[in-house]
Amino acid sequence: MSRALNSLIQRFQSASETNLWLLSGLVLAFMPHLIHLPATLILFSALLLVWRLGYELHFFRLPTRSVRMLLTLIALIITFMAFHTLFGRQAGVGLLVVMLCLKLMEMKSDRDTMVAIGLGYFVVITVFFFNQSIFTGFYMLLVVVLLTTALSAHSREGSKTLRLNHLKLASTMLLQAAPLMLLLFVLFPRIPGPLWNLPSDSFGAKTGLSDSMSPGNINQLSNNEAVAFRVQFEGKIPPPHQRYWRGPVFTYFDGRSWSNSNVVNYEKFNELETISMSYRAIGQPINYTVTMEPNNQNWLFALEMLSALPPDSDLSPEYEVISRHPVQQLTRYSVQSYPEYQLEGQVTPNMARYLQLPNNPTPRIQALIKSWRTKSINEHENIINSALQHYREAPFYYTRTPPLLFNNPVDEFLFDTRRGYCEHYASSFVYLMRASGIPARVVTGYQGGENNPVSDYFIVRQSNAHAWAEVWLKEKGWIRIDPTTMIPPSRVENAQDLLRIAPEVAVIPPGWATNLWKKMGYTLDNINHFWNQWILNYDATRQRNFLRDFMSWFGFGDVDWRAMVTLLFSGMLLIFSLIALKLLRKIPENRDPAVIAYQQFCRKLEKRGLVRAPSENFTAFSLRARQQFPELSPLIIKITSLYQRLRYAPHAPANSLKRLQFTIRQI
Amino acid sequence: MPAIRRLKKPLFSQKIRHRFSLQRFLKGEGPETGPIHLIQRRVYILPTKRGLFFAAALFVMLIGSLNYNNNLGFTLTFLLASLSIVAILHTYRNLLRLSVDVGHITPVFCGDVVRVPVTLDNSNYPDRFSIRINFPEQPKLFTDIPANQWVRVEPTLLSHERGRHRLERFTLSTIFPLGLFKAWAHTQLKIQYLVYPKPDAQHKLPRESFYHFNLTGDRGNGCDDFAGLRNYQQGDSLHHVHWKTFAREQGLHTKQFGGDKAEELWLDWETLDILDTEARLSRLTRWVLDADAMQYSYGLKLPNKQIPLGHGSNHRHRCLEALAVYTDDIFVNNNTTDKNIGAHK
Repeated sequence: MSRALNSLIQRFQSASETNLWLLSGLVLAFMPHLIHLPATLILFSALLLVWRLGYELHFFRLPTRSVRMLLTLIALIITFMAFHTLFGRQAGVGLLVVMLCLKLMEMKSDRDTMVAIGLGYFVVITVFFFNQSIFTGFYMLLVVVLLTTALSAHSREGSKTLRLNHLKLASTMLLQAAPLMLLLFVLFPRIPGPLWNLPSDSFGAKTGLSDSMSPGNINQLSNNEAVAFRVQFEGKIPPPHQRYWRGPVFTYFDGRSWSNSNVVNYEKFNELETISMSYRAIGQPINYTVTMEPNNQNWLFALEMLSALPPDSDLSPEYEVISRHPVQQLTRYSVQSYPEYQLEGQVTPNMARYLQLPNNPTPRIQALIKSWRTKSINEHENIINSALQHYREAPFYYTRTPPLLFNNPVDEFLFDTRRGYCEHYASSFVYLMRASGIPARVVTGYQGGENNPVSDYFIVRQSNAHAWAEVWLKEKGWIRIDPTTMIPPSRVENAQDLLRIAPEVAVIPPGWATNLWKKMGYTLDNINHFWNQWILNYDATRQRNFLRDFMSWFGFGDVDWRAMVTLLFSGMLLIFSLIALKLLRKIPENRDPAVIAYQQFCRKLEKRGLVRAPSENFTAFSLRARQQFPELSPLIIKITSLYQRLRYAPHAPANSLKRLQFTIRQI
Repeated sequence: MPAIRRLKKPLFSQKIRHRFSLQRFLKGEGPETGPIHLIQRRVYILPTKRGLFFAAALFVMLIGSLNYNNNLGFTLTFLLASLSIVAILHTYRNLLRLSVDVGHITPVFCGDVVRVPVTLDNSNYPDRFSIRINFPEQPKLFTDIPANQWVRVEPTLLSHERGRHRLERFTLSTIFPLGLFKAWAHTQLKIQYLVYPKPDAQHKLPRESFYHFNLTGDRGNGCDDFAGLRNYQQGDSLHHVHWKTFAREQGLHTKQFGGDKAEELWLDWETLDILDTEARLSRLTRWVLDADAMQYSYGLKLPNKQIPLGHGSNHRHRCLEALAVYTDDIFVNNNTTDKNIGAHK
């Protein structure tokens, strides 16, 4: 057993250091890609990696040229079978990984090694195109350290009489590079926007809210805790019943699903005339900044009702805020909202769309509506109230796992199942309103959000997604109605949901473990928020703002790119000189601590009036010192003999130096 | 006075021109006496092929990051760019302030390898790794130098031609620690070495033909047979003192030995008149070696030089040296002029 181990260790010792570091770096670099690479490709690459490791350890030989050609062909076929293309983001990464592994099959020369290390760094950057989380960042730093170690070991040529820890050297150099990197990161001029059109799959799938809503088709609402966006309020935080983040609005119902009859994609939208804000604001505005996670969609979310649009966005007739580009990076915008408002009190020409129904209401529904009708001036308001009362009093339940609905979802939900979540309630409510002749529409978005107590900002998660209704009343305009809130707490299945739907009612006494867990979660999210704010969201605009603030600190005005470049170069020169000063200075002579201690002893006697002549050896000096200070005689003898032994005896006792220093201190 | 001073001290502009001259960059300073201390102005640094490849890769990464506006991509690109900037300093330091000297080069016969004992002194400086010592068109040779120590390496040269040669310029270089940059320094030391003619392989020293018996015979300079006593002279070896006479208080006497009577010969250029110059030199070289091996007492006669009879390694060297530097033309200037010498002193 131990012999087998020994032989393995020997094989490792005789292997090329460069290639071992390179292999370990590559394996770690591939890890994050495993989730989006097909199994065949992973297995094939793993095989090649093992083959190379086996070669390094002198178990196998490298394949011949013809075998390599065959392997390349297989690699191409595997990649094409998996992705049906060789281009685009996913296939590109697959190809990069497998080609790098193939390179290992023929890596012999200097150049091959260099190419392999360079491609290794490329793999690192492709990981960032998929994921830029703080964890990924630090994990990939480890990979960079390993690859740099390989690079360093590769530059070690010729006879190796000195042992060298390449890992330590690479880490030290990366550490020394850090200040320069920071400067480049802050000051390197950023260009807004892509340089050329990106492949369509560049930013991954769309996430978050969808552009249609089909209650009854899904029997499980996902409980996705991913962050949709974060919000920092300036000053007053609005109460829970005002935290409605308006998103896609649906006006068209085909009996099963709601969609927007208008426009979803921006190109079409652009042809419409731009709608301007027209509502009557009441009360005080709320100022806040939203940082949206990338979701590859065009919706921007804001509290109802926004007073001005964020940059690069437009307003739809339904008061949705639509960004001109899909949100592919973290996006930040500062906006202002009036939580109390009056929207479009007058009849608008396209009011008919808000009364559209897919079919004639079933007799059950007609009977229900009929029972609500009254002959009064406020007929519409009475109907709304009756409907809400119906939701409150009939046995409707809130559940995340409602039964599926089949032929007529609205009818089945209202009279048979009576179990559902926000989409069911909003959908059926709008249907009822339209059937009663009241213009209505479904609004989706997010509702609520939790405060992060660690640094006072709001986190709105995907699980905060919500749907509610808007009805139009003469003179009053569009009014938000959230039928889901009508469900009394006793009919909410899940305590978590209760917290969301009726935060005033739901009080769950949390245990200390839950508290601690929550607190950790908040701290982590806070770090993420910081990472987003300062690392991922640092773009041309933020760079400009940051520099303006920084320069105004020194009494300068705004900075243009020339000032930025000047600042960058002078800063780099400064840091470079500082590192040069540290690196290029001479190291002090290798001084014996015994000599230093003895010199201290001489200085002590000097203070007492006895100066050692430059040519005087220590025996003579000791004699003279003893004559002058008889009281110190034993100490002087001891010091002299210890010093003599330390300097000239082949093996001085281990504690001699300590004793010498101790004795000298006694004088 | 100012004119004289100007001669001694070059103008500032001249200094600058010298400092940045292409000549210095390509060939280094002229030959100088060792040790050479590799101070800042002697060490050059430029990117290697690997470095250019790395830069190209970084450029692609930068474009990618710009296009996708990927901030971690930027971070990686900037980190690697900064790393290579730091590597400049590390590579430079690996060579800076090294002291180089070359010791005495043992003469060799033409065709043999010349061993150049190069001493690299690394006082007051941290460990140095993978320093390359390179003579043009010679195999790679690397060494590490521990802190505060010196090492000796022996690069080899091929000897193509007999004669007295000036040691070629050689280059110390390093690409450590990342291989992205190469720091180098040219060194040319005022050192000469001797290449003896190649000894003729076939024609041994003919025993009979050049055999002259010494008429005077045993003069007491040999070491074989006891030939009598003489008075002690200063410098005589104590081994040869005849202690018995000294004990008898008859004064110090030195024992004398004979054996130098016989093989005493002249190796004469003129006897080889059927051959061309190099063949003659080659033959004579062979004879010198043979005569030396057989411990003959021999002399050498060349058209422009005559070396009297003698023996021993010094004598052998004198003969071989005379053969090595022999030229047909008596008027040729022995010191080959070098354009570089003193050009910038």
